[in-house]
Amino acid sequence: MPKILIADDSETITTLLTTALESNGYEVSVASDGHQAYQLGIDSEHDLAILDQLMPGLLGIEVIEKWREEGIETPVIILTGVDDERTAVESLDRGAVDYVRKPFRLPELLARIRQRI
Amino acid sequence: MSLIEPIQFATLVVLVLNALGVAALIILKAINRSRRRRAEARKRSHMRLISRHVAFEHSTDPVPAKAATDPAFIDALIDVRNALAGSDLENLERLVARHGVVDELVSDLRRSFPKVKRLRAAMALAELADDEAVPVLLEHLDDREPEIRVQAARGLGRMKWTPAIDAIVARFGMETPWVRARFADTLIGFGSAATWPLVAYVTVNHRHETAGPVAAIRTLAAIGDDEAVKPLIEVLHAGADPEVAIAVIEALGHLENPMAAPVLRSATRDADWRIRAKAVTALGLLADTESLEDLAAALHDPEWWVRRNAAAALGVIPGGLDRLYEALTGRDHPASEAAIEALVDIGELAAARARIEEGNGRTRDHDLISVAEAGR
Repeated sequence: MPKILIADDSETITTLLTTALESNGYEVSVASDGHQAYQLGIDSEHDLAILDQLMPGLLGIEVIEKWREEGIETPVIILTGVDDERTAVESLDRGAVDYVRKPFRLPELLARIRQRI
Repeated sequence: MSLIEPIQFATLVVLVLNALGVAALIILKAINRSRRRRAEARKRSHMRLISRHVAFEHSTDPVPAKAATDPAFIDALIDVRNALAGSDLENLERLVARHGVVDELVSDLRRSFPKVKRLRAAMALAELADDEAVPVLLEHLDDREPEIRVQAARGLGRMKWTPAIDAIVARFGMETPWVRARFADTLIGFGSAATWPLVAYVTVNHRHETAGPVAAIRTLAAIGDDEAVKPLIEVLHAGADPEVAIAVIEALGHLENPMAAPVLRSATRDADWRIRAKAVTALGLLADTESLEDLAAALHDPEWWVRRNAAAALGVIPGGLDRLYEALTGRDHPASEAAIEALVDIGELAAARARIEEGNGRTRDHDLISVAEAGR
């Protein structure tokens, strides 16, 4: 069963994504801040991570950087705010494989996840 | 002895009453905390349920019979709604319709009290932005509670229900400044669809009221639609009230349309100094090179505020620097003061110093430094 890490400080987003992903046959682990996300990524292997850009502790982009320093190459999809074009581009430059803007469409996000796993 | 006993008794009574009061407060706080925790737990559970219904159109997970009356369910619906876009919203709307959520909220809003419940219903209807709520939201643009009027407009705005624009604009003149400002936010959200209703409102009302038209003009400026430029110029030509004229000039500057330059140039010679001060600033925003003469003339205005704004405008218009340097060494001391202030603000003094240090200093660089140092 493919394993996905979701990190977002919004409980609504993590609940929504967990429900949708588990129902689609993925195993999900959840972090509510950047430090927790970083640690979960270190502690166990994930096939994909969906990281919110604006999280307490560490930003999504910073989590990617710290993982890469530790040799963790988990593919990452970054969740960004609707008007945050700059962050979206920056996240791709810093090693994210894709980005999705909030508010998002679940079918589109699921399709992007399928493409990466 | 007989006096001490009643005092001791009274002190005891006060202490007991105090202790009872503190105990009651602690109990109330504990009840509230537990109630809040239960509501949060219910909200989390509802959120999981709603997520399943959103993720699967034909989800059979049962929704509690009285969910529509549970504030935790409504809060969860709103949170999920704000996280989603596109077809997922249709699934959510189906869930809302199937469980009579809007009907329940409408009935709460139509109650005569309590205000908190009515306001909560209005806010929820605004957040859910369900088309079924349109009639009740339109109706409550006239609610007795200002907060509810604001929520009604906000809900109509979130749905982009353009037929509501006229109804909102029509209330501009009768509202308090706070409600008017919130209505303006809603109209800005409608974008250019609100331009003509606002223009019509200003055109019809600017002669006999001020607050409403001024707010409408500022809203037009925030929307930023060039369609408003010509009608606003006509309002100025029609000899508007000074407050309205000031708002129009500010809006024309904000809209940055060159069509407004001639009327703004005329306004730099208006009898009212407030209008002159706004007009020179607006010309700066337009970066209109044909206005250099008028702005240079405004450096000699009797009002310091006009001189200051004219100098700032010259600092940003191509060719304006030459006019500031001319004023710097001229005989008019107030004009020279305004010029030096603007030159310092735009970094020209530092640039002149750098040019001199590099050996590229011109006469005017030396003039600038000596005037600046003399002013110290």
